[in-house]
Amino acid sequence: MEEQFDAIVVGSGISGGWAAMELCRKGLKTIVLERGRQVEHIKDYPTTNLAPWELLHRNRNTNKIKDDQHIQVRGFCNEANSHFFVNDKEHPYVQKKPYDWIRGYHVGGRSLMWGRQCYRWSDLDFEANAKDGHGVDWPIRYKDIAPWYSYVEQFAGISGSKEGLPQLPDGDFLPPMEMNALETHVSESIKQKFTDGRRMIIGRVANLTRGWNGRGPCQYRNLCDRGCPFGGYFSSNSATLPVAASTGNLTLRPHSIVMEVIYDKDKKRAKGVRIIDENTNESIEYFAKIIFLNASTLGSTSILLNSVSDAFPNGMGNSSDQLGRNLMDHHYHVGAGGNFDGLKDKVISGRRPNGIYVARFRNINEKTKRSDYLRGFGYQGGASRGMNWNGDGIGSELKDQMTEPGDWSFWLGSWGEQLPHPDNRVTLSKTEKDKWGLPQLEIDCEWKENEIAMRKDMMNSAAEMLESGGIKDIYTFNDEKAYPGLCIHEMGTARMGKDPKTSVLNEWNQLHEVKNVFNTDGACMTSSACQNPSITYMALTARAADHAVSELKKGNL
Amino acid sequence: MDRRELLKMIAAATGGVVIGGEFFLAGCKNPDAGVGVSSTFTESDIAFLDEVAETIFPKTSTPGAKDAKVGQFMTVMVNDCYDQKQQEAFHAGMKSLNEACKTKHGHDFMKATPEQRKEMLVALDKERSEYQKTKKKEDPNHYFQAFKQLTIMGYFTSKEGRTGATRYEPVPGKYIGDFDYKKGDKIITSLT
Repeated sequence: MEEQFDAIVVGSGISGGWAAMELCRKGLKTIVLERGRQVEHIKDYPTTNLAPWELLHRNRNTNKIKDDQHIQVRGFCNEANSHFFVNDKEHPYVQKKPYDWIRGYHVGGRSLMWGRQCYRWSDLDFEANAKDGHGVDWPIRYKDIAPWYSYVEQFAGISGSKEGLPQLPDGDFLPPMEMNALETHVSESIKQKFTDGRRMIIGRVANLTRGWNGRGPCQYRNLCDRGCPFGGYFSSNSATLPVAASTGNLTLRPHSIVMEVIYDKDKKRAKGVRIIDENTNESIEYFAKIIFLNASTLGSTSILLNSVSDAFPNGMGNSSDQLGRNLMDHHYHVGAGGNFDGLKDKVISGRRPNGIYVARFRNINEKTKRSDYLRGFGYQGGASRGMNWNGDGIGSELKDQMTEPGDWSFWLGSWGEQLPHPDNRVTLSKTEKDKWGLPQLEIDCEWKENEIAMRKDMMNSAAEMLESGGIKDIYTFNDEKAYPGLCIHEMGTARMGKDPKTSVLNEWNQLHEVKNVFNTDGACMTSSACQNPSITYMALTARAADHAVSELKKGNL
Repeated sequence: MDRRELLKMIAAATGGVVIGGEFFLAGCKNPDAGVGVSSTFTESDIAFLDEVAETIFPKTSTPGAKDAKVGQFMTVMVNDCYDQKQQEAFHAGMKSLNEACKTKHGHDFMKATPEQRKEMLVALDKERSEYQKTKKKEDPNHYFQAFKQLTIMGYFTSKEGRTGATRYEPVPGKYIGDFDYKKGDKIITSLT
């Protein structure tokens, strides 16, 4: 195989797929190195059309899954999608404090199983660090990324409603999904009863409400995490990788674990990467003019930490000592729920793979400023009316009760921002190695005071909003065992910033110190906001790819 | 919603955590589970479990638990998803249930009439319900809990139960959030 390319993309998940597509479309001969196996759209979705009874354990986790994937099952790994989650025994890491690292090692990565919620950030988020002094300032503002949000939304297909909320900018949306009867009612109540401008809106989701770029529309099966045979939602497998391949410029190499980026000291540029073949253990080098690291937040940072040379004894681009630091996630498993006595003549038909969203309403201006914590949170959730599970007894009486609809219920869960903190960090173990001889990652991360204080309000405000909508029998929850990582929104560890002394990447996602190495996955994030991050990774990737090719043409790389 | 709905609601209906559910993080001692072979249950055990399930969820105008092969389903779930302690408790529960029948009616559960079976399980379910309300969190569940939970789960995820007792649409094609309902209409569940 010819081992010289114009570009190398490490990883094929949500951001790697975008990097591959953009670079291929701009004419660069691009190799995508994916550490796991191939997953071809539709062909490799073995469970996608199985009825509940066609799954031997009716989608429950077997003891084997619970054993082999003991960390993955803490997330949402189940019988029907467990083949898309790693075997924890084969992919160990060191938890200095409890941390759930939920991963998918295969072509497409977690873009196959992601939650698909897509929310733009605003300057409330990009200015947050500068204003309260936690972390360093983002080197970009909303105006820098806004056109790129539009660009990626127009390709991916994001359904949603335009609301005019400054803290949650509108995008280029496909028609929104619809709220159900109770969600409409509660949403109206919230609008009327709260004077702080809070809004409950339909979720903005990468499921297609009409046919789009040859994909979809969504069929309302709600089986997305098995892969969709209709191409009803955005994934690398269904969307970006096929376009990349259609250019003729793509080489995709599965089973390629990137060990390190190779540095050319004289040119002060990276010249390629060294991989180990997952199956044969063969070591191979690939060379290119530019390298995009899209191996996921902790994957990309691991590679940089392991890319040690005389010039970079502590990891490539790590003169700031910030590589590995400021690991963030969203904290969740906190909120409230309850039942509704009414709308008895209405039920739900179809399985909407989406819920409602409540945009952040705390600390968005002087009026909403809190004294007990910084920043804020949003809510996801929704109303449902299923079977009547409150039947008691046994026999035909129980069966009769259970085959009538129960009350409507409402569930609201909160997703909160985590402050960047230098002590929340990852390092490479000096003693523990994986089966390929690569050092294991050590993760040392915990929720700190601000998150813990915020959770009380996250819980109580959920109950308060439900109450305002007439929800009864309200219960609240605040799961203290929802450790960092569980939300699968890991971010940070190679943050963007203005100053090479305090950050790893510049405003174009280039390593300050090695300009032809780009990172545009979660690792680059300077703060976490409270919105689901994937659409921001997509926009940053497209923006960085555009810059990279432009710089390449100018001869600057 | 979907699986969460099932687990949460089965737990609500029976007052406990669903074994094998996503919130259940049991120790794992059965590394080869998952092949679906019932190694510790006999054919007569399956027949017994079918009759227990049928008493909990009998055939009416819609299929019963036996039509849905709930007995077989229970053995697969116990073998492959229960840990060793839970498996032992389940087998002991089968014995206890049969003994309770002998005490009440003077003969084995399999020899009891449908009326005797129902009378006995109604009483057992009351006992279960009371026990679950007052038990300490760390105490084990009442042994009837597993039979009832597995019957409900097995029935509504079976082809017979799901298509016979609910309106099942594999590919709905659209979402209607205010769909008209009148008593007697088949229920729609978001279970996947």
